[in-house]
Amino acid sequence: MPTDTLSATLSALADPTRRGILARLASGDATVSELAEPYDMSLAAVSKHLKVLEHAGLVSRSRESQWRPCHLEAKPLKAATQWLEDYRKFWDRNFDSLAAYLKTMDGDHGRPAKKGRSR
Amino acid sequence: MNTQTEIPKSEPLIIMRRTYDAPRAKVWEASTEPHHVKRWWGGPGFTNPVCEMDVRPGGLWHHVMRFPDGHELVMDFVFIEVEPPARLIWQNIDHGRRKGPPPTCKITSTLDEDGGKTHTTMIAEFCSFADRDYALGMGFTGPIAASNDRLVEYLKTL
Repeated sequence: MPTDTLSATLSALADPTRRGILARLASGDATVSELAEPYDMSLAAVSKHLKVLEHAGLVSRSRESQWRPCHLEAKPLKAATQWLEDYRKFWDRNFDSLAAYLKTMDGDHGRPAKKGRSR
Repeated sequence: MNTQTEIPKSEPLIIMRRTYDAPRAKVWEASTEPHHVKRWWGGPGFTNPVCEMDVRPGGLWHHVMRFPDGHELVMDFVFIEVEPPARLIWQNIDHGRRKGPPPTCKITSTLDEDGGKTHTTMIAEFCSFADRDYALGMGFTGPIAASNDRLVEYLKTL
């Protein structure tokens, strides 16, 4: 996933209203007015949030129906959360590995005899 | 998992804490001497064909990590602060070549000794987004941390 796409995803997710919209769409497609219901804001304001989500590829809208229901596109979300999860996993594995290696250092301090100290 | 991870909402950081059953001089040595680092970096199944470390402020760390499937990842860092055996700060240098996920540009690793054990704290600071995006970008961890959020539940089903 290119960094700019991920950046767009993260920016889109940074707003609580937009997260609320995505949460609503997670349980099924909805029209703009349905999405606007829980919020004390105009349809235009909600549409603006939807535009951001559409631009980030998180939401798509049907061209066919008159009501143009909004649909959650999960792929970019998955990529954003996956990156963080991969990062955490990498470091967790790395720390485990260091902990295991430290145990093997007992005795000879793990240093090959041929190498001099570097500090 | 033995690693504690903290993702502050207000700052673009990931903080990881880990305790090792070894004095910190030993943890420092294992983390800063290439012949040691080569033997554990990446974890089981990973190898490190190249690990060159010039551990001093401004010194480079050039590293090639080989994944279990054989593909290699080149990592280049520069050491910013070196205070043995307490503190090590290093930073990614990508020469503008990096594509793909956001790098953490600066990592601060602090070692505290506690009766033969060593508590380490690693703070990863993100720098791949513009300043504006720092705060925005990390805002998304809010819903991820909230286990009752519908969106989080949904993500699990993907």
